[in-house]
Amino acid sequence: MVEIELIQSILVYGAISGGMYALLALGFTLIYGVSDVINLAHGSLFMIGTYIFFVLATPYGGIQIGLLPALILAAIFVAVIGAVTFRLTVHPVIGDPLSIMVVTISFAMIIQESMVLGFGSYRQPVPSLAEGLATIWGVKVTYSKILAFVASLALFAILMTFVTKTKIGRAMRAVSQDREVAMLMGINTEMLYLLTMGISASLAAVAGMLITSSTAGVTYPHIWPQQLYLSFAVVILGGLGSIKGSLVGAFIISYVENTFVFAIDPIIADILNLPVGGSLSGAVIMATMLLVILVRPKGLFGKRVELEE
Amino acid sequence: MHLLEVEKLTKRFGGLTAVNNVSFHVDEGEIVGIIGPNGSGKTTLFHLISGFLKSDSGTIKFKGENITGLAPHKIANKGIARTFQVVRPFRHLPVIANVMVALKSPRGAKKIEWIKTFERKAIDMLEDVGLTELMLEPAENVGHGDLKRLEMARALALEPDLLMLDEPFGGLNPLETDFLTKSIQRIHLDHPSRGIVIVEHKLYALMKIVKRVIVLHEGEKIAEGKPEEITKNKKVIEVYMGKAM
Amino acid sequence: MVTGYFRRAYSSFVAHVLDIPPRLLALLLFLLLLSFPIVNPPSSTLLILTTASLLAIFAASWDLLVGRTGQISLGHALFFGIGTYATGLLSYHLNWPIWVTIPLSVLVGFLAAVLIGFPCLRVKGHYLALVTMAFPIILIGLILYFKNITRGDAGIWGLPKFFPFLPYKQQFIAEYYFTLLLLFASGIILYKIANSKTGMVMVSILDDELASKACGVNITKYKLMAFAISGIFASLAGSVNAHLLQVANLASLRVTLSFMVIVWTIFGGLGTIYGPIVGVYILQVLDQYVLTKIVDVPTPWRIIIYSAIVIVFVLKWPRGLARFVTDKQEDLEEARDIDERGPRIWRTYKKKEKK
Repeated sequence: MVEIELIQSILVYGAISGGMYALLALGFTLIYGVSDVINLAHGSLFMIGTYIFFVLATPYGGIQIGLLPALILAAIFVAVIGAVTFRLTVHPVIGDPLSIMVVTISFAMIIQESMVLGFGSYRQPVPSLAEGLATIWGVKVTYSKILAFVASLALFAILMTFVTKTKIGRAMRAVSQDREVAMLMGINTEMLYLLTMGISASLAAVAGMLITSSTAGVTYPHIWPQQLYLSFAVVILGGLGSIKGSLVGAFIISYVENTFVFAIDPIIADILNLPVGGSLSGAVIMATMLLVILVRPKGLFGKRVELEE
Repeated sequence: MHLLEVEKLTKRFGGLTAVNNVSFHVDEGEIVGIIGPNGSGKTTLFHLISGFLKSDSGTIKFKGENITGLAPHKIANKGIARTFQVVRPFRHLPVIANVMVALKSPRGAKKIEWIKTFERKAIDMLEDVGLTELMLEPAENVGHGDLKRLEMARALALEPDLLMLDEPFGGLNPLETDFLTKSIQRIHLDHPSRGIVIVEHKLYALMKIVKRVIVLHEGEKIAEGKPEEITKNKKVIEVYMGKAM
Repeated sequence: MVTGYFRRAYSSFVAHVLDIPPRLLALLLFLLLLSFPIVNPPSSTLLILTTASLLAIFAASWDLLVGRTGQISLGHALFFGIGTYATGLLSYHLNWPIWVTIPLSVLVGFLAAVLIGFPCLRVKGHYLALVTMAFPIILIGLILYFKNITRGDAGIWGLPKFFPFLPYKQQFIAEYYFTLLLLFASGIILYKIANSKTGMVMVSILDDELASKACGVNITKYKLMAFAISGIFASLAGSVNAHLLQVANLASLRVTLSFMVIVWTIFGGLGTIYGPIVGVYILQVLDQYVLTKIVDVPTPWRIIIYSAIVIVFVLKWPRGLARFVTDKQEDLEEARDIDERGPRIWRTYKKKEKK
């Protein structure tokens, strides 16, 4: 009784969301891997990116430049914001996870309210990257989504190459594995943190622009918590600090989400005679993460536990 | 019946066999030393006996009872206390509280005579190792040599029937080494039925106290005997060639 | 010259005010709070402080869990919400009186905490922190989904009040004292637990789980105990709050609540129990009173100012404000004559030595 269209929808949409979630999670896992920082403002950086894109790429505020330049400028701007804020607020309390959380939460609140002040609490448009509808494997997908998907995976691949092949990337991996040894080897961890934070922030911003432009096409000041949870779910499931984990985790979460929304939710709605609810998909994602953690307390690809009974 | 009986204990980590078919025993009142170059599996052996690692095969019997695979805190409460190679103090707690944690455990609490409170008992233990002056100091402010003594006081607080010391002389200067040697000898005299196992690198310190030595190399037991015999053992000398004795 | 004046005032403050033994200081603050209604404040102001008392219980419960066993919980609103919804559902569907539903809600909170605590045992550090975020989200999803029972987004309204027999204005005062007393009792209980030998063992778990196990400590037992106690007080706060506001809705599970408890506790001082209580009061009064009633700042600016102040304070006093005060008091004590100071243990030892 399972319709082919359903499976195809799930497969295609699952892949597309997966790619974008991977990019979103990558920034989060990167800064954690290198500096042990849980950046609760990750969603906020996502959001700043969308707003800058909105300002630059639409007639709003009298400026309008091309989509690609807007994207790049936004990424750079958010990278700077991220790095500077990190240096001023996070760096002094690095090593103290709770203080870091307090500082990043507060930053997130400041950003949220700044957006409310600057742009209002209502939705603002985020322009699409492309127009038109394509059909992949029998499923109708917007070109916007396809482009966002391809861009996400491309950036992911670029970053993987960067981390594995370049000297800086290797330094990042060294620090993420053993900070003290890396410092002894002469790696300047302070600069590395800033650089990583800049990269992480720009990734969040780009993910923000790609995701919002290809899905609802809007942004608003309260968009960031959901993105934060999504990042968490993916990164925890995949393993904190693991790039491979973000990729695998992203696709798992994406497929679970899409399977639920397309297949399971309507069935439950039928049985319980309740309307289809999008509210449960967040819970389902979290439940999936929990299930994985129970079996693998450090995520799928997180560092192994050293000593336990 | 031996106090501790380890039979054919094996532990593998992926491709590496850290402990390979090791068997030995410790009797009541014995002080046994375990030596071997770095990576020979001494500390892994300790982790296996004290329950922090699960063995792949083999058995561990304590006072006749099979304790293989038991959780570490259960093993501690049965009477095996151990110290760690790298000191593990409770940094936020003052020195006296470090000892009190061990006293609060089921075994520690049992052994407190009814008129003495936890604090007084803890002070006694600290007196045994000479740490009373630092009693209220948060452990994070205490120097390495004193922390090593704290490790021991904490282990002693459990009044174990088997005391396992993992490189207790590590990082100690000659004066501290001498003091520790005398402490171990005194502890041994005070509790003649207690067995002591010491893993150590510094042979000269060990030789004075132990009755019997077991030598490990790459996870296997290669020699066992009195200290004088071991120092003359060809295999042992080969293995330690170039390493300071 | 002006800075000189402030510096002298500050040292004078340190020398005289802080020199009071901490317990006396706490008692004085409590008496201050007790006598507050005498100045006949408006009901809305009383409500702010009443809510603050409950949030303080909530924060103190979090502090026991995180500050003692080190199990970081980023989803503590779960227990607050469980308390709220347990009493809400029982009142709404079964019409049971307050003095039945609230204890039952606390029981539910306790059971939930133990249930949640079990899977959390295996998860550590940052993983635990982020995993705990999942629970309130899952509960919110379930509540929204089963709208028929929980009234979903709308929430359960019309919950019974505590003192319906009192006239309107007096109810606020009665509620104020009621919650203050609850805070006092809860604070003392939590403080005693945190500073008991059990609390000591919990700190050993936070500091070094392995060494703790080697000392014969049953980690599972203590971790679950911390969860259970924390859950009890958090759900107490949630259930009382529901009847205070007469509504049980999703606001009790909101993520800002989970986040704010971290802010309050770190601001005041982690691991102290009184720290979070102080933190809640100062920050809530700042936010709800100073920035709302006195200066009347529009909400976005209020949040921005509040958050900026938090950042500045946490960077300047990472150990927390209340800790800063007690640290200073310790410094003062150390300057005193060696035989006169110190806790009971030290004096016991000194007496023993003299023999």
